[in-house]
Amino acid sequence: MFKRKKDKDKENKKASGVKGILYGMALHGSVTAFLRTRMYMEHLFMLMTLGDMLGFPVIPPYYSLRLLPYAVPNIKSWKARLFRERDFTDMFTG
Amino acid sequence: MSDVLSTPSLWVLGALIAYAFTYFVYSKWVDEKVWEVSADRTTPAHMYMDGVEFFPVSKSVLWGFQFKSIAALGPILGPFIAISYGWLPALIWIILGNMFIGWAHDYSSIMISVRNEGRSMGPLVYQYVGGDRPRTILLGYLLFYLLIISAVFIYLIALFWNVFPGTFLATVIVFIAALIVGQMLYKYQMNVYTVTIFAIIMIAIAVWVGAAVPWPPKDFLGPDYTMLTWSLILAVFLFFAALASMPTFITPMNFISAFPAIGGVIILIIGALLTPLTGISLGQPSIGKFDVLIGNIGPGPIFPVLFVSIACGAVSGWHSLVGSSTTAKQLDVEIDARPVGAGAMLTEGLLALSALAAYMIIPAGSDVFQKGKVAAFVTGAKELAAAYLGGEAMLPFWASFFALFLVIYAFTVQTLVTRYWRLVSGELFTGSLSFLGNKYIATIVGLLIPILFALSGSWLNLWIYFGGSNQLLAGLALFLTAIIVAKMKRPSGYVIGPAIFMLIVTISALGWETYLYAKKVMSYLQTGDVNVLFANPPLKNYPLAAFFMNVVFVVIGIILIGLGFLMAYYLFKSYSAARSEE
Repeated sequence: MFKRKKDKDKENKKASGVKGILYGMALHGSVTAFLRTRMYMEHLFMLMTLGDMLGFPVIPPYYSLRLLPYAVPNIKSWKARLFRERDFTDMFTG
Repeated sequence: MSDVLSTPSLWVLGALIAYAFTYFVYSKWVDEKVWEVSADRTTPAHMYMDGVEFFPVSKSVLWGFQFKSIAALGPILGPFIAISYGWLPALIWIILGNMFIGWAHDYSSIMISVRNEGRSMGPLVYQYVGGDRPRTILLGYLLFYLLIISAVFIYLIALFWNVFPGTFLATVIVFIAALIVGQMLYKYQMNVYTVTIFAIIMIAIAVWVGAAVPWPPKDFLGPDYTMLTWSLILAVFLFFAALASMPTFITPMNFISAFPAIGGVIILIIGALLTPLTGISLGQPSIGKFDVLIGNIGPGPIFPVLFVSIACGAVSGWHSLVGSSTTAKQLDVEIDARPVGAGAMLTEGLLALSALAAYMIIPAGSDVFQKGKVAAFVTGAKELAAAYLGGEAMLPFWASFFALFLVIYAFTVQTLVTRYWRLVSGELFTGSLSFLGNKYIATIVGLLIPILFALSGSWLNLWIYFGGSNQLLAGLALFLTAIIVAKMKRPSGYVIGPAIFMLIVTISALGWETYLYAKKVMSYLQTGDVNVLFANPPLKNYPLAAFFMNVVFVVIGIILIGLGFLMAYYLFKSYSAARSEE
């Protein structure tokens, strides 16, 4: 019984390997491009709504504060992404 | 035994064994002894995880992504030039290039980025080679490099559309399918399996239409204007592709093209291994004629032309851009760098082998070679495939498939290059030149200059410029790795030797090609005869314009060599300093 389970795990691993390769070849680039598009839109949204955190007050603080609880989970990664220097060689894949 | 040796089978098998040795022994040694990789060391994908650019991805996914990103026309068409010297030198370079240079370059490009917070080539050059000036030189170099890649690929796609009637229709069907696939995946969020089945059916239809409707015929607008027309039609496609959002066209196109791309390689490798059973034997001589080897006739002297002609099939600078800008940011654990970097490169070596096998079987003195046509690949590939898949009746189908295979490989890379040019222009041109950074103007400039380049000179000359600049970039990336490894106080011999070799080879190749253009320019000045220049119709009808474009190529050659030397100087200085550090 145990051996059978082990064999099955091995088979699953092989299948996920082949599936992973096909996914990597066909879709991974698409998925990351899509994520990047979403990232730029989120940057824009965050800058408009919480721009005062970066020194760009765009909308009155009242609305920023109302939106703050919803934006909190994204703030750390947003700042990290926004402040990271991007070189021309980083734009290679779009 | 002699029967087997007179087929490509055993040679391909021998190369596979050499690749296996490289992967399981040599690369493993470098991985463990030089880089001392550890699964416990945190990678940038974890350290800076943002779910967009930095996030861990399994090695199989990353391998697939890396392979698809690096595989292009280099290993397919490069052996066409190389086989002029006989198939044996080409085979030896594909094997040795991959064994000692190609994998080391790709793997190291990932590792130097992984060990430096996921930084790409530009910041790494800034950090290790002495600040802003080397980085600016790299940027300048890349701009010329992009223009030359574009010129080669635009010219080749136009040529494929022209010499394989029906391929244009097949390509248009694939474009339409890509647009539909984009909508299915992103707008309607349909099941990926359904979309995959749809994509495969559309490719089959495209191939069938390509075989059944050979329209428009070759040179349908006469010898003067057909290529120009195809180039302009292609430019229109590329213009929209580069301006549309990635999920609209480029990424669905990559998705749909992945299937024929990998399918074609597998079909060819199996076809080559089965040749003792299918009865296909070697048609080409193992060593070319002496006059070809020394460059009196043919593409140029075997050194350095052979080493730059196979391009990505042995080593390619393009891969360092892919590896350091994207792959390194998503590497889950350091121990994955070898299967992803070295594994994908050696697989590309397989692609070069499969293409070489397709050329090896074409009978010596065949028309396709005598006339210097790129159709040779399709001629050999369809024979290899039809021998075990469908027989003679399927020859037109396989001809259409492999013609589309060529277009797809070129087109998917070219869309990215055009888009990259646009993005770099936006960053680079500011102030009074900001109009050049406008996305429409940048895209038009990034297409028109390559078309002008493509109209002058043959694809062979452009290809050697492309191979030279591409592999010079690889040499520079290897040098950069040597600096970083030396700073780590680890043995840098596995990269510094290949780096110096690549610099010598590529600067010699660029020098040779520049010399050829300079000779043409001088001949024109002496004779006033436009026929002595490298110029394709309709440029040939305008002698002054043709002369000007030949001068431009001399200048570009000198600039590329100059930038290469400058960069090599900075790199060597930094390498010496790193070696002498206590």
